[in-house]
Amino acid sequence: MQPELTDEELCRKVASHDSQAFEELVERYQSRAFRLACSILGNEADAHDLSQDAFIRLFESAGKFDGRSSFSTWFHRILVNLCIDQQRRSKWWKRMLPLTGAGDDPDAPGIEPLTQEPEPDLQAIRGESAWQLHTALARLSPHQRSAVIMQAEGFSSREIGTVLGCSESTARVHVHRAVAELKKTLKDV
Amino acid sequence: MSINHPEIALIPYARGELSAEERARVEQHLEGCAECRALAESSMGVLRKVARFVDETPEADWTAYRIQLRRKLAARTEARTPWWRSAYAWSALVGAGAAVAALLIAISLHRPPPFSAPPLDQMAMATEINDADLGLLKNYNVVEHLDLLENYDVIERLDQTPPASQQGNEKSS
Repeated sequence: MQPELTDEELCRKVASHDSQAFEELVERYQSRAFRLACSILGNEADAHDLSQDAFIRLFESAGKFDGRSSFSTWFHRILVNLCIDQQRRSKWWKRMLPLTGAGDDPDAPGIEPLTQEPEPDLQAIRGESAWQLHTALARLSPHQRSAVIMQAEGFSSREIGTVLGCSESTARVHVHRAVAELKKTLKDV
Repeated sequence: MSINHPEIALIPYARGELSAEERARVEQHLEGCAECRALAESSMGVLRKVARFVDETPEADWTAYRIQLRRKLAARTEARTPWWRSAYAWSALVGAGAAVAALLIAISLHRPPPFSAPPLDQMAMATEINDADLGLLKNYNVVEHLDLLENYDVIERLDQTPPASQQGNEKSS
């Protein structure tokens, strides 16, 4: 029986357009990528599209993977950056309004929704506490939200820093502030 | 809280991410700081909630997901193929060529008969006549009175005339 190839070995095969290796990587990462994107974006349809886009990017740029970080970190960097970009794009119109914050700055606080109407599906399927957390996460800046979700998913501060393109200590600050904000919001509701 | 509280290091401490030196420093602080112990605990509680929230994300239909992904990838690859290698581009080119050919044939079939120019040799002859010196024709009266047949007898008996060399010999003898 052949030993299972590592993610890094599969990625090198994908670089030479090995579709079987690509399928294998998709199977390994699809669930986690979708969960992460869904939590960052707060929207299943967008998470579906963006996680697929991340796999397409992986297929197209596997040759650029240089092994300086793990494959997992490299791939999640692609995914999280797509999610952050998507959020910037989807909020362009809010920059036109007064008293809005985030704009192009992913460290700026998230834009508080004007109405706090619960999404019926989320509230019905996952319960009140899930919806409260969803709302609280939506108030965070994209970087804080991504950092705290990745930390909860088991990424180390160093990995979070690599994914977000910042230092390890900055990643710790993002997580710390996100947790403090979540505590505050969850206590308020 | 004062800046001496290692707030930012509490989660990394609880997750075992700190270096030995940092860990010892935080441990020492936590022994004497109930506030930081409570903060560390509540922070880890929030992270557990977030982890549960992420875990509860409904699973997608992975078969449909991968089929859609393959389609997107194929469409993307097709879009990135240079136009001259694309089957679509070739069929479009062939179609356009056929349309142009059909248009040209249709135009030629319905075209009125073209103006037929005189052949080139006729045009050349006409030019030559125009340019020729027609002084004699202009003085037709002179031409009219010329007796072109005055040597007709000579011409008529030309076959009976001895060759020029023989005539010369006869004269010399």
